[in-house]
Amino acid sequence: MSKNAKRIIGMGTLAGMVIAYLSLDESTRRYLAHIGKQVPYLPYRYWI
Amino acid sequence: MDYEAIVIGAGLGGVSCASLLAKNGLKTLVLEQSDIIGGCCSTFEHKGYKFDTGASIVMVSDPLEKFFEMAGKPREDYIDLIPCDPIYSFITADGRRFTVPTDIDETSDIIEAIAPEDVEGWKSFCALGKGMFDTMSDMMTTPMNTMTEALAMQLKFPSMYHYMPYFLRSHLGVTRSFFKHPTIQATVAFQSYYAGAPPELGMGMMGFIALMEHLGITYPRGGMIAIPEGMARLGREYGMELRTKSKVDKILLEDKKVRGVRLADGTEITSKIVVSNLNAKVTYFKLIGAENLSSWANKAIDSYDLAMPCPMVYVGLDARPELEAHHTMQTPSVQESNDAWNYCYSKGTIPEKSGCLVSWTTESDPELAPEGHHALNVVYGGPVPYAPLGDNWDLLKDDIREGVIKKMEEVIQPDIADHIDELFISTPLDFERRLLNPHGAIYGLFLDITTSAMFRPNPRSRAIKNLYLAGASTGMGGGVPTTIASGVITSNYIVQDHG
Repeated sequence: MSKNAKRIIGMGTLAGMVIAYLSLDESTRRYLAHIGKQVPYLPYRYWI
Repeated sequence: MDYEAIVIGAGLGGVSCASLLAKNGLKTLVLEQSDIIGGCCSTFEHKGYKFDTGASIVMVSDPLEKFFEMAGKPREDYIDLIPCDPIYSFITADGRRFTVPTDIDETSDIIEAIAPEDVEGWKSFCALGKGMFDTMSDMMTTPMNTMTEALAMQLKFPSMYHYMPYFLRSHLGVTRSFFKHPTIQATVAFQSYYAGAPPELGMGMMGFIALMEHLGITYPRGGMIAIPEGMARLGREYGMELRTKSKVDKILLEDKKVRGVRLADGTEITSKIVVSNLNAKVTYFKLIGAENLSSWANKAIDSYDLAMPCPMVYVGLDARPELEAHHTMQTPSVQESNDAWNYCYSKGTIPEKSGCLVSWTTESDPELAPEGHHALNVVYGGPVPYAPLGDNWDLLKDDIREGVIKKMEEVIQPDIADHIDELFISTPLDFERRLLNPHGAIYGLFLDITTSAMFRPNPRSRAIKNLYLAGASTGMGGGVPTTIASGVITSNYIVQDHG
């Protein structure tokens, strides 16, 4: 696969994810944002 | 060593763990700072009335039954559980009042009268939930505190993956996947709010509490304290020692390993094992000390938020209240619950509009009040911030008194004020003073999927050797069944490690 094709697929996936996120209702977005903020702490929490 | 195991705190997690350790032959001492045991699951006497401190019902008695099974004694000999039916009377944001019985089919008829479009959702919800509970019957007392244990659980309950999407969603997400009508959604989604998290952030699994209640709820004869007292009586029969008014100031360490505790009066008691039933932040930051923890452990404990606290109001009446069930819930709409979190709680203000939960304990056990009198526990206004902006809880007590009377006039009967014999208030600050829960957070740490099971502080501490944790800060968080389950799980770890 050419470099350009890979780039197009990558950008398409990213655009798809953004569209999917924007199509969610506000509550689900807040839930995902909340979970996203917690993710960096998970390794610490696992090892306590 | 003076003892083989010392348990700090005689809450449900502490007492269940200590009693099972004693049953397994360990010389065990429980140290409780208060003059009564049970922590948030307790009952105290005031002018002839017996009021429950916090917890007001037993839902899902499996962990309690498991405790007695492991202890080798019949539960009936220690605790008498009275069935409660109907489960709730609801007063919803759109002004409806209806009472929900235990029977699932009768509940279906009630849903049909309000929201015919949700009857199918209710049936699917019950079928899925019952399937989940049947296949994962002893899930609560099965540990899931490490990746290995999670894998073992998956192997033990192969159908668990079917339910995974519901574990990963929010409480509101699960509710919406079955119910469309806002009134029905509100009656299913309020549970996480009363466990200290708004429906849009609470754990999806909590959505199924609305079904668990239909599998039977009970109230212990003698008040909620009958549960820790029953378990402690059993523990004493196996040699467990329990001291009240014994506050622990420090967990003593030697080379990152526990060697005992120091009490507030300076007495040192040595022990090979220490179990803390306190909030994990208190255990690690106050009793162990941040200086004795690695930066990794400090960061982990610091990363947890506390669950939202609730003010409680205890009311003695000289007449029978006009209520229909042990519990009456004035439930806010889902939107109001989420808004309370997003626009009030997170900014330190008290929501103007909120619901309340009335527990009519004398409906189930008339002995809790003098003859002809009744006792109510009222969770007033739902969860609130610990420190209201610009004010102190002690200064707000008059406002709360006025507000709760107005609320009871609305929820119970217009002339309720004429029948109030006793009324006193416990604010989050009072809970902090009496129970030593930081910020009065009776549910311990905030609960969502990033702070539960293997991401909640491990019952077998990975920071300090021979330190164990039990209670609301571990496993699946606060609540009667989950904290008893935590004690069972922790005792199993100790028996494996030291038995």
